[in-house]
Amino acid sequence: MARFNSTEELRQMRRILYDHTDHERPRVVVCAGTACHSSGSNDIIRVAKRHILENGLADKVSVRVTGCHGFCEMGPFILTEPQSAFYAQVKLGDVPRIIDALLAGQYVEELLYADSATGERYHRREDIPFFKNQKRSILSQNQKMDPIRIHDYIAQGGYEALEKALAFGQPEKVVEEVKMSGLRGRGGAGFPTGLKWEFLAARTGDEGKFLICNADEGDPGAYMDRSVLEGNPHSVIEGMIIGGYGTGASEGVVYVRNEYPLAIKNLTVALRQAREHGLLGENILGSGFSFDISIVKGAGAFVCGEETALIRSIEGKMGEPRQRPPFPIQRGVNGKPTVINNVETWANIPLVFLMGAKEYAKVGAENNSGTKIFSLVGKIRNTGLVEVPMGTTIKQIVYDIGGGSPGKARIKAVQTGGPSGGCIPADQFDLPVDYDSLSRAGSIMGSGGMIVMDENTCIVDVARYFMDFLKKESCGKCFTCRKGTQRMYELLDDIASGRGTLEHISLLEELALVVKDTTMCGLGQTASNPVLSSLRHFRREYERHVVDKKCDAFVCRGLVGAPCQSACPLDTQPWRYIALLEKGNLEEAYSVIRETNPLPSVCARVCDRKCEQRCQMGVGGGEPVAIRALKRFVTDRFDPAAHKPERKQIAKNKIGKVAVIGAGPAGLSAAHNLSLLGHKVAIFEAGRALGGMLTSCIPAYRLPRDILYREMNALIDDNVSVEFGKKLGKDLTIDNLFSKGHKAVFLAMGADKSQRLSLEGETLQGVYTSMEFLKAFNLRGEELAGGHVGIIGGGNSAVDAARVAMRQENVESVTLIYRRTDQEMPAYAEEVEAALEEGIQLKTLVSPVKIRYIDTAEKEGVKVHKGVTAVKIHSHGGRLVGIECVKNQSGEMDSSGRRKPVPVPGSEFKISLNTLIVAIGESPDSACLAEMGLKLDKSGRVEVDARTLATSREGVFAGGDLVTGPYTVVDALAAGKKAAKIIDRYLRGEEMIEPRAPMLPDVYIEPSEIDPSDFENAERAEPELIPAEARRKNFREVENALSLEQATAEARRCLRCDLEFTRGARKEAETEGAKDVHI
Amino acid sequence: MIKLKLNGLEVSVEEGSTLLEAAQFYGFPIPTLCHMEGLSPYGACRLCVVEIGEGPRSKLVTSCTYPAEEGLVVRTASERVVRARKMIIELHLASCPQSKTIQDLASALGVRQQRFKQEYEDCVLCGRCVRMCNEQMMAGAIGFYGRGEKRAIGTPFDAKSEVCRLCGGCMHVCPACQLRCTYTEPEKAVCGGCANIEPPCLEKEQFDDMMCYMKPCVACEIEK
Repeated sequence: MARFNSTEELRQMRRILYDHTDHERPRVVVCAGTACHSSGSNDIIRVAKRHILENGLADKVSVRVTGCHGFCEMGPFILTEPQSAFYAQVKLGDVPRIIDALLAGQYVEELLYADSATGERYHRREDIPFFKNQKRSILSQNQKMDPIRIHDYIAQGGYEALEKALAFGQPEKVVEEVKMSGLRGRGGAGFPTGLKWEFLAARTGDEGKFLICNADEGDPGAYMDRSVLEGNPHSVIEGMIIGGYGTGASEGVVYVRNEYPLAIKNLTVALRQAREHGLLGENILGSGFSFDISIVKGAGAFVCGEETALIRSIEGKMGEPRQRPPFPIQRGVNGKPTVINNVETWANIPLVFLMGAKEYAKVGAENNSGTKIFSLVGKIRNTGLVEVPMGTTIKQIVYDIGGGSPGKARIKAVQTGGPSGGCIPADQFDLPVDYDSLSRAGSIMGSGGMIVMDENTCIVDVARYFMDFLKKESCGKCFTCRKGTQRMYELLDDIASGRGTLEHISLLEELALVVKDTTMCGLGQTASNPVLSSLRHFRREYERHVVDKKCDAFVCRGLVGAPCQSACPLDTQPWRYIALLEKGNLEEAYSVIRETNPLPSVCARVCDRKCEQRCQMGVGGGEPVAIRALKRFVTDRFDPAAHKPERKQIAKNKIGKVAVIGAGPAGLSAAHNLSLLGHKVAIFEAGRALGGMLTSCIPAYRLPRDILYREMNALIDDNVSVEFGKKLGKDLTIDNLFSKGHKAVFLAMGADKSQRLSLEGETLQGVYTSMEFLKAFNLRGEELAGGHVGIIGGGNSAVDAARVAMRQENVESVTLIYRRTDQEMPAYAEEVEAALEEGIQLKTLVSPVKIRYIDTAEKEGVKVHKGVTAVKIHSHGGRLVGIECVKNQSGEMDSSGRRKPVPVPGSEFKISLNTLIVAIGESPDSACLAEMGLKLDKSGRVEVDARTLATSREGVFAGGDLVTGPYTVVDALAAGKKAAKIIDRYLRGEEMIEPRAPMLPDVYIEPSEIDPSDFENAERAEPELIPAEARRKNFREVENALSLEQATAEARRCLRCDLEFTRGARKEAETEGAKDVHI
Repeated sequence: MIKLKLNGLEVSVEEGSTLLEAAQFYGFPIPTLCHMEGLSPYGACRLCVVEIGEGPRSKLVTSCTYPAEEGLVVRTASERVVRARKMIIELHLASCPQSKTIQDLASALGVRQQRFKQEYEDCVLCGRCVRMCNEQMMAGAIGFYGRGEKRAIGTPFDAKSEVCRLCGGCMHVCPACQLRCTYTEPEKAVCGGCANIEPPCLEKEQFDDMMCYMKPCVACEIEK
């Protein structure tokens, strides 16, 4: 091979290479980086080559095998040149089609990359959001070359930076150039590279000076250094040669971990080629300057990424750090002055010289010039390597490039810097990613790992994971790091397993601060970061673990137990009644259900099914067990009045008189449970019926009234009295309740005051709130809707209103208007679907801007529908004829993780309407409570102590929608039950807070012998719905119950997560002679 | 000579001396465990941390390894230093409570109990024995192996060493096994009463001569 003896010869070679390349020649580019390799890119390459050879296409198209392109999620892929079409996750059989299409100048449309969120396909890779929003100055080189061909690199302008550096003539100028570029070390701490070089250049170094490339990239989830080294080793080599020239160093070492075989292979080849071409070794390019590089393979200790440990490892000693000073710049490898830079830093050096320091410094943010590669992993749609200018916000990286969350769960935080870094919560995603901003936020840049966490990631578990990693990877030399990480792990493990207390958290924090302060090297000093930053941003989650013994992400097994049970606010044991149902023991199944839930038939119809969302069958990618349908199957078979729950007998003098305000689910549940505990309860209800929202809001086709009333009436026993038409503030006050001898008051009036759009004309005739509309119909049978009906809102009450309107006699059409996309509608998906089946149209991304009066409407030329009479006539203003809407488009992410709807100017349009129903949410009607001395928040909700439900007034408790705002039936029932327990303790004068233990399954039920083949392909049993035509104009219950066969088969799909926890109970039962075992 | 500011005092020390030596020379006590005169500084136990520098850039460093620098501002017992030392000795106690040396250090720092899961290890990996063997006895029979929680001291491959001369130097310098509290065997007890004023275990009359300051008492714990 030709050795270049001067820069002129190198330049000539580059020119020849460039001129002899057909730049328009069709090429198939395939990534063979580690990630794509493991997803099968080698086979793709083989098939592509065979197709080309077999069909004699070798002179028309060529194949280029390259390093990592960054979009690892989509591997193996094929990029075509010059089209720049990107075929993702290619199957072997598709390869010939892609090549043929390329030759014909066409595309294989159905194989092109499609955005998984929008479904949009892109013809050019540059237009794909993942690539479009990046600035790829380092990574983009990978796709242009085969890493083991130096000519590819030279043809792309390789070693041109070295030419320029040598042309400076004086090494000081080279250092000056790097200083001017503002380049900072990409390894994590961000020390200015030029300054480091200057220190080294200033040392006399009689025994020689050393350069080290730190390629010991060990943090979980980070692989950008690997990709650079694998895909473009010459850029690192070139950077080091320039560094050697600038600093006067004569030797270089690349310290690379042995776990990176491809990187070692490509680097070895590249070093050999560089040497053969006279780019490395004696008298480089005839300049008289000599420099050589060798490879040292690390054995995979994380701590060897620390510079002093790395140096010891290179020297052949045990890889443990030593106290600095002296710094490596004073005493490095074998006592020689040494500069250590990270792979990415070295790869940036050629760029600095190619662009010129001034141009380079313009990229990025102030004091943070250039681009940075991040490995974006975790709960993110587009996993891969991302290169962006410094100062890009996390929001841009996570949402614009990463595409946001892959599922429905909201993104909660991002961990930057791997185990040594910290987490940044979602509400701080506007933070620019640069060294200084990140460290201010309590994290570090690290080498650029970025792990995205969503609601299903438990922050305690993440901290525990990192601590486990660190306690194994700490070298163990200094005591606070070795024992500190072990002890932090112990504390975190206690918290995650349910043994934690508040003292655990304070001790953890105290220890973490000391470990940060007193350890020897960077590993220990940053080891506390995962703990400290998560405590700083997610202390609430830690407290949930130790106080409430709940893991809201359902990760910590010792707290979760059976996920279905843990998810239920009422602590219902679905695993238990499902197992009993499967054995045919329905009676006991019913009492298991009824034990925790006073209104099981109601919940079996309208519960939001938190249990199913957490069912392990569903979490694993399948369909969750149809728990609600199974519950209905059981409850349908029993008369609620027949169930006699256990009653507590208490001493007469302990019996308290409690007033419950509101007969909704929260009030009924509190009254019933207080009655069971032996107390006397008086319910005061403002309306004329029991049930609150259950009767006034939920339509009969979802919740048949006979079933509802039968169940509610069964709760009214001798201890409970109900008075209707008594409204707090009008007919009663808290003071006179106390003066009448009530010892405690439970407020559960719910939230039924509809919010307004705050548009002009909302008091118009024909405009109703969803509550007005639904109450009018459900309680009095009045049909308020007529003609063309529009409903604004996307929640359950909006859909309820829409479907009730559809069933009203004078209605011609119903339109639901929601401002966001249908994906983001808060209503239950199946309700929306059912509504669409019934003929309700859905307009999404539309929000109303003004409601027009009839006269202005006529002036504007809108046709008024005539011949449609309103059910009820308001006498003021005019009558509603329509609304004007404006189209929205999805904007930036807001803090809820949903995209903000942004109006598109000029897209206004009109919808003619006769009835408009505003269903944009409800709030409590609580003005009177403020007068009675209770603290309210700004949306009118009563403020309570979350643990005791106690309000700011002694003896007054509150729960349900009044406290939470509109929420679910099951949460209201749970609030009532909790209130009953607390009020009982209050009446007895006991401590109100009961320390909680994790709710784990405790009853052993022998699993049935099921043939696995029966159940492998079993599908979820969906209750049948009566056909849309048959239900559209009536109020028959839409959902049918499961049949016995269906229910049994469905129950068999249960994975019985409880068995993991009931082993102890099982042994006990066996020794006791199967007394409690249900067979 | 190098001038530095030690606890507010302008002092000068010989070039090449460490902060620990400087502090000891001027009579400021700094607790140490892994440090021993005659052995090279190692910086493992972290007990000798002192605070250097001022304002937001001040930091804790181990005085046994940090060289005295011109103009350096050093505080040997600032609030930050004492807080860190207390936690460090508490960690030591949690691992190795039966060491008289550690108990005395804890007692002197006012630490009366520890809040972690109690362990009874024989070694705190201070490395005194390793350095003794290498530097003074010139044997190099023992060394560290493993990392993180698996780090330990031993001979190569844990086989009987051919270079060990059974001099006992390693045991002589060990802070964990010298003066070991032997709990419930009073006739062998060397735990002759540390600086603790209030012994937690008052009901052990037969152990009047040995006073374990730990709460709960190590002796009682082990007896269980």
